[in-house]
Amino acid sequence: MTYRAAAADHRFILDHVVDFAQVAATDRFADATADTVAAILTEAARLCDDVMAPLNRGGDQTPARLENGVVRSSPGFAEGYRAIADGGWIGLSASPEFGGMGLPMALNTAVTDMMSGACLSLQLKPLLTQGQIEALEHHASDALKALYLPKLISGEWSGTMNLTEPQAGSDVGALRTKAAPKGDGTFAVTGQKIFITWGDCDITANHLPSGAGAAARRRARHAGHLALHGAEVPCRTRRAIPARATS
Amino acid sequence: MPDAAGNPGARNKLKVVSLEHKLGIHGSPTCVMQFDGATGWLVGEPHKGMAAMFTMMNNARLGVGAQGVGLAEAALQKAVAFAVDRVQGVTAEGVPGIIGHAEVRRMLAEARAEVFAARAIAAACAVAIDMANATGDAGWEARAALLTPIAKAYGTDTGCKVADIGVQVHGGMGFIEETGAAQYLRDARITTIYEGTNGIQAMDLVGRKLADGGEAAFRLIGEIETGAKAARDTLPDLAEEVWSAAESLREATEAMLAQAMNDRFAGAVPYLRAFALVLGAGLHLKAALADPARAALARVMIRRLLPDHAALIARSRDGAGDLYALSPEVLAG
Repeated sequence: MTYRAAAADHRFILDHVVDFAQVAATDRFADATADTVAAILTEAARLCDDVMAPLNRGGDQTPARLENGVVRSSPGFAEGYRAIADGGWIGLSASPEFGGMGLPMALNTAVTDMMSGACLSLQLKPLLTQGQIEALEHHASDALKALYLPKLISGEWSGTMNLTEPQAGSDVGALRTKAAPKGDGTFAVTGQKIFITWGDCDITANHLPSGAGAAARRRARHAGHLALHGAEVPCRTRRAIPARATS
Repeated sequence: MPDAAGNPGARNKLKVVSLEHKLGIHGSPTCVMQFDGATGWLVGEPHKGMAAMFTMMNNARLGVGAQGVGLAEAALQKAVAFAVDRVQGVTAEGVPGIIGHAEVRRMLAEARAEVFAARAIAAACAVAIDMANATGDAGWEARAALLTPIAKAYGTDTGCKVADIGVQVHGGMGFIEETGAAQYLRDARITTIYEGTNGIQAMDLVGRKLADGGEAAFRLIGEIETGAKAARDTLPDLAEEVWSAAESLREATEAMLAQAMNDRFAGAVPYLRAFALVLGAGLHLKAALADPARAALARVMIRRLLPDHAALIARSRDGAGDLYALSPEVLAG
């Protein structure tokens, strides 16, 4: 039995159960016409069925591994991720100003559902990148947005979320990682983060951890900084995706 | 680190120290990251990082709820295909596969009903987020905030439950890795833990999300009741069950509001599930009204799953006293 993404169920729910028409009637989401919804669901389902679902067993049987400091992803995951990125799926709900499609979360949520059924391990990579895109759209300076958002949305770079530390799990306020001002507007970040999903890999050219770190001399609970760390991953990326490597 | 042209330049001072060995999601590398004076750029205001971080967390919570639904869908499709093919004994209706046995059919029907309910709840949450973003309306923002923990916890609980049913339907073959049913169960298990455990989602629901005095919750319950009234002529028995369950949820919410916070926390998980069942039943009813072919699935949701709400609500009202009456020594056995 091969997996078939439930595009028709999503369409029914949007049309008849949760009144998606009111979203499409707003100025902001005027592009989310019935034709667009149909095209998005159909194309996403095709990607899930034909590209992602066939990778699911291999990912389980051949886990990602660390080789000389390099994370090697499971067989076919690099090509699968590139197909997700090239389809524009990472930026489905991201701002058009930086290359996103600007479509509603309702569509992105349906796509997340369909992709997760196909291959959860691979779907986590775009999900985390989407979280970082959203945080930058809301909180970053214009310079940071201009630098990072286009590459995150295109899938050239990817985002990771760095919160958990050994002593700070559910209680993220207990974190100890320090961010010391360097005097030039940047911070020197020191500490250990654990359970970092897709923290690195041989698929994308650059992995950007967003994480919370306390200021060096002020460790008040729930008062951390949100910092973005430009992590450079050396030329191994070229082997995976020649066309997109930039380093 | 990006150079002046925005391309990756010098390597920043951070590295992957090791990868974790996990129960599931083996294809997803879970890293221990070491930062040794890595250069970071401040995002947002100093000392407001946690608030900014929660921008990432909140929509990721809905996304993780959707992950649970997607896993449930995949596990269920696999289970149905197996149950059609697998022949064991003579079934009551003469259907050859084990899907002809009432007990197997029950598992699959309940699983399909919960997948639909969880999917519709996630969609309702996403629509609320979209409407809040498009209009800035405080009512939609409150609706999105209320539904996020429900979508996350119920979606991922459904992922685990349906993946578990998937293994059960496969029988002994489900316990064998080659079949693939077990992978869904192993993969689903993390989803109730990450992005805030489902216990934390429930505490968020009875704490911060009821901090408005229950206004957002009562408004949603009111809409479920209005929907039930609209179905009274077409589906009278189902409509009555949903309306009555919504009334029970209203009373349970009032009872929750009257409790001290730690007493609320002691009943938070059953309260969240009761809320999800009532809301999911309301959405099933709406689906059945729109398409009569969906009434049979709505009936399974409302007659077989929704009745649990009464027991769940009873469990949400007792406070924390009985729990703390058991010492760690007694709990250790």
